Amino acid sequence: MINAVTCPICGCLCDDIEVTVVNNEVVKIKNGCAVCEAKYLGYKSAHRIKQPLIRKDGKLVPVSMDEAIHKAGEILADANYPILYGWSSTNCEAQRVGVELAEEVGGVLDNTAVVCHGPSLLGTQEVGIPTSTLGQIRHRADVIIYWGCDPWSAHPRHLERYTSFTEGRFEDSEWKAYLNKVKASAGRKKLLSAQRRKEPKKQHATAAESVVFNKPPETLQKEGRKLIVVDVRKSMSAEMADYFIQVQPNKDYELMQAMRALVRDEELDVDQVAGVPVKYLREVVDVLVNCNFGVIFFGMGLTHSAGKFRNIEVAITLTRDLNMRTKFLIMPMRGHFNVSGANIVFAWQSGYPFGVDFSLGYPRYNPGETTSMDILLRGESDAALVIASDPGATFPKRAIQSLVKHPLIVIDPHMNATAMLGDVVFPSAFVGIEEEGTAYRMDNVPLPLKKVVEPPKGVLSDEAILKRILKEVRLIKSQKTNQKTEAA
Amino acid sequence: MIVLTPLKKFQFPVQAENISPDVFQGKSVKKIASLTVWEGNKQKKLGDLFKIEETPAEAPDITINGDASEVRRVGQGMKTGEIIINGNAGMHLGEKMAGGKITVNGNASGWTGSSMKKGLIEIHGDASDYLASPYRGSSEGMRGGKIVVDGNVGSDSGCYLRGGEIIIKGNSGPFLGFHISKGAIYVEKNAGPRLGANMTGGKIIVSGVVEDLMPTFTVDGVKKKAKVDDDLKVEGPFYVFLGDLAEHGNGKLFISQPSNPQLGPIYDKYL
Amino acid sequence: MTEMLIKNSFVFDPLNGINGEKMDIAIKDGKIIESVNDRSAKIIDATGLTVMPGAVDIHTHIAGGEVNTGRMIRPEDHIKDVVRKTALTRSGTGYSIPSTFVTGYRYSKMGYTTVMNPSMAPLGAKHTHEELNDIPLLDKASYPLLGDWWFVLEYLQKGDLDGCARHVAWMMETTKGYAIKIVNPGGLESWGFGRNVHSIDDPVPNFGITPREIICGLAKVNKMLNLPHSIHLHTNNLGIPGNYVTTLETMKALESVATEGKPVCHITHLQFSSFAGDNWGNMRSAAEEISKYINAHNHMTFDMGQIIFTDTTTMTADGPFEYTLYQLSGHKWVNSDVETETSGGIIPMRYKRKSAVNATQWSIGLELALLVKDPWKMFMTTDHPNAGPFFKYPKIIAWLTSRKARMATLKKCHKKAQRKSLLPSINRELSLYELAIVTRAGQAKALGLKDKGHLGVGADADVAIYNINPEKLDIAQKYKTARRAFGNAAYTIKDGIVVVKDGEVVQHVDGKTMWLDVEASEELKVDEDMKRKFKQYWTVEYENYPVFDHYVKISDPITVKASV
Repeated sequence: MINAVTCPICGCLCDDIEVTVVNNEVVKIKNGCAVCEAKYLGYKSAHRIKQPLIRKDGKLVPVSMDEAIHKAGEILADANYPILYGWSSTNCEAQRVGVELAEEVGGVLDNTAVVCHGPSLLGTQEVGIPTSTLGQIRHRADVIIYWGCDPWSAHPRHLERYTSFTEGRFEDSEWKAYLNKVKASAGRKKLLSAQRRKEPKKQHATAAESVVFNKPPETLQKEGRKLIVVDVRKSMSAEMADYFIQVQPNKDYELMQAMRALVRDEELDVDQVAGVPVKYLREVVDVLVNCNFGVIFFGMGLTHSAGKFRNIEVAITLTRDLNMRTKFLIMPMRGHFNVSGANIVFAWQSGYPFGVDFSLGYPRYNPGETTSMDILLRGESDAALVIASDPGATFPKRAIQSLVKHPLIVIDPHMNATAMLGDVVFPSAFVGIEEEGTAYRMDNVPLPLKKVVEPPKGVLSDEAILKRILKEVRLIKSQKTNQKTEAA
Repeated sequence: MIVLTPLKKFQFPVQAENISPDVFQGKSVKKIASLTVWEGNKQKKLGDLFKIEETPAEAPDITINGDASEVRRVGQGMKTGEIIINGNAGMHLGEKMAGGKITVNGNASGWTGSSMKKGLIEIHGDASDYLASPYRGSSEGMRGGKIVVDGNVGSDSGCYLRGGEIIIKGNSGPFLGFHISKGAIYVEKNAGPRLGANMTGGKIIVSGVVEDLMPTFTVDGVKKKAKVDDDLKVEGPFYVFLGDLAEHGNGKLFISQPSNPQLGPIYDKYL
Repeated sequence: MTEMLIKNSFVFDPLNGINGEKMDIAIKDGKIIESVNDRSAKIIDATGLTVMPGAVDIHTHIAGGEVNTGRMIRPEDHIKDVVRKTALTRSGTGYSIPSTFVTGYRYSKMGYTTVMNPSMAPLGAKHTHEELNDIPLLDKASYPLLGDWWFVLEYLQKGDLDGCARHVAWMMETTKGYAIKIVNPGGLESWGFGRNVHSIDDPVPNFGITPREIICGLAKVNKMLNLPHSIHLHTNNLGIPGNYVTTLETMKALESVATEGKPVCHITHLQFSSFAGDNWGNMRSAAEEISKYINAHNHMTFDMGQIIFTDTTTMTADGPFEYTLYQLSGHKWVNSDVETETSGGIIPMRYKRKSAVNATQWSIGLELALLVKDPWKMFMTTDHPNAGPFFKYPKIIAWLTSRKARMATLKKCHKKAQRKSLLPSINRELSLYELAIVTRAGQAKALGLKDKGHLGVGADADVAIYNINPEKLDIAQKYKTARRAFGNAAYTIKDGIVVVKDGEVVQHVDGKTMWLDVEASEELKVDEDMKRKFKQYWTVEYENYPVFDHYVKISDPITVKASV
């Protein structure tokens, strides 16, 4: 059994996983959530790529590593504007080689933030960000807000490890209070169900309405940690909250800006904002202003709805304004386990966190201009390398069409949607299971990933494959230069 | 006058800050043809990508005939002279312009007139996003000069405006005039949501429909007319709103009363 | 390895008392030796040139979580300073927070060979080391932030110095650190709930200990552990008008810990801690008061934190102070508290000549450096990037060695600052010998780096050769020439290899990371109790916390025998 294993799935980067390995196979997981278990027990699926592949006559056929490396090297060395995309599900060691490779081929280096928390990074570039590591939340936070995200589904252990349901030095866990609430709610549901059976023709209150919903936040007057969820629909996380604010879709910006004005003691002309009555909003702001330590966690609800990076910007400025009255912090719920790592590595080596364009020989950055998605939509690229991600499944159709129009190199453990469209495909080892390395948590804390089993025979790590491609590119380029000087 | 005609449809981005009257001035056609320009990751010469001809006409200094939508940074930082583009223009057109005139007989791309200081840009088609807005992380918005767009503009235009005028004859996208502190923006048709968010000064005048006025503006009265600049006064009547309250701002929104009957029930009671 | 002979140069080696003598320097296998064979050695003809030991920077924020967040949020700072890839060097960006490769190249071009990253949150130590690995051409080390670490606060509050020392020793090894860094002691823990401490006797909420107790306690622990550098302190009340009183109190408090005339504390970026007055309107320099104390006592060393008039970025572990800067400037603000350990903040800052406060700050740094008589006490830094980017150091060299240069800059400053400045009455100009002390010899000595900062036999062959002929060039008059010379080394030699020639990088070397392997007689028992406490305090497992060996590319552990 191996202790203190860091799980390679989501931004929680839980590092207390206990993995039991028998005969080079993971047989048991302890402490992990359902998603963690699914990955550790399911990584050896039938979709594993077993050998390098090259598309010949329209079909992907197995080839030697040397042949595949050479083809990949040629594609990149020849390209006028290649994209190197992905990076979020591999280790920092591989990401470093990625920067060197993008620089060598004069291409654009981009990671999955471009479809995820890119807007959050853009927001921080406008206004900064008052934040901390997750332990500060655990020890001190008495008001916890999840805005536009659903940790129950997407970051299952977030509340029990870092927020409401964990013990801190200065705040206790709210787990017991939550269990009591769940029992009470279950009781209510049973009662309503019995009533409905008794009188089927009568209009009954539904269970949904019996939970706190668009009512004044009296529930926030309790002792102990308070959990607020803001979302467009009542998610699973909202069910757990002490107060749920249902914001009208695409109106988060107005809601937060209004809250900022209220924090600054301004009077509003309107009676309701984004579907929330202003008088309730004032009470919520009172709770925020009077707490000891508040925190906002946010996700795609803000990054992907109308306003995009300005939504993050206003969430950050709201947090910043609250610091005039109390301690308040904010943190993005990063998705992939090493998406932060990619941004961090790119930034320390080039100055920029994603969308780094090396085509002029030095790093340039301008999302909208140098980001992979936009380049693909305008059809500007002529080659691509995709690693540790699956744009074939997540990008819009027009971008994928652009991707397959030109040579596509894919590095992935699985025959995923992107690999199926590839021209050169490399099988790689699962980082965090078959390959060790470093990853960065959603709060930018670096953690070591362990290797618990050996990868399948012949399958290399991302880092090793990239290093070989880089070497091949340099060789091809130097041969070209020699040919030129000979010809001259 | 120098006439540039693209020799092909560019697939890869072309970095062409050398296409500027200041740079061309005093140079022969041969010299101009040897100026550096980048196409994707390859360094090229201007003559490799454009047919370059000289005509005896005095003005404009530079004409580009054809689709220049991938040709970026034309007229960047120019101080004098005139450029006409008979086609679509690429990103960063006239960025940090300090004088002179640029005319686009077509559409313009993102970051046109970014952080402009002086001069005139006329776009006869649509402009894309970030018109006149500064680079990421910078708050150095347009501080002078004038931009006129016959068509529509995209999102986040006129951000951090601190002087000069932007006149939009079509519709505008969201976040027009974000964090404007000085200067004037006029929208003849409709304005998208989050108009003037974080405004601290300056004014935005809209003759059409304003989609979803921000809740952090407070109504101050009604005015019959609104002045864009010394050359342009617009007929109202206009609601005058002050804000953005979240910034304790003193900006003014002039919003057409007849075009926006939806505002009456909410704000008329304060008048 | 090769032999090298630097011939016929003017050598300034203060640690060995050499003041501009015409000498040869012999190098073999990366070390300075007595002599080499002329015929087989690589000869560098340094006739008419000045040779000094490679420069040492005792305090520069170049690596780690905070520095990198600064990079990430300032794209507008990078676009104005781009660095192209060459056959030998990687690409990158500046301006105030250069990317890692550029950091190495630019330091080396100025003749620097050793740099110390002064603020490392232990939880993020792996990140710091990963970035240090990517800084070429320099030897480096990093100081873990320990002044508000819960274990330190608890053990000192209990009066258990031994226990505290054992924990500090463990932390030094675990983070592969080099010195005890203390920032606004007590203030960072208070900032966890948005508060701060306002004097060295202000008790820290929830912990019942005062900054005075933290500073003196850790100074004692430092002695017990025999660490090569003293404690490295960023004072309480930094950046607040009137704070010189706190600085004086701090220095006085440490008198009781001082023995044997060896410094027990290094106060960093002293300029920020030398303000008199009681508000921004009447703020003025307290350099006179502070330097008077320093001249009369020997238990402290300092570095300047000299202001450069430019657009830069402030970043410190002093979370509350960075928030104050936000309140003053309204610029984008990052706050980055770290559980159990420290806080942090980042905010862009533009220092203007026409700002009376900034101009006074500029004057203070120079006043301190020139009024302190003993150059072995006061070193040149900008607390990069806080008071200015490090590659502007040549400007400071000009101000220190040329009154003419200082006055030229002072004349452009706000009139109020000109009137208040002490500089018009200061005629002192540092000699090349003194300059060598404040930029290398003194810094190495204060750090306890035995093989750095000098050119005696056995020293690391880290050498800087500058285009300055002391017999022909009067650097006090021709300060612009001197500035250029110090900004573009004729040669920088690292471990006996020429890495920079005529201000250009000609060879890549990795440089090593130095850290302390502290051997206590009784090691900290990491038992189940400690592990349980660990789990309570941090959100990571004990097993995943340390900086494992593979995180340091080229490791240079320095064994320290503790007296505990």
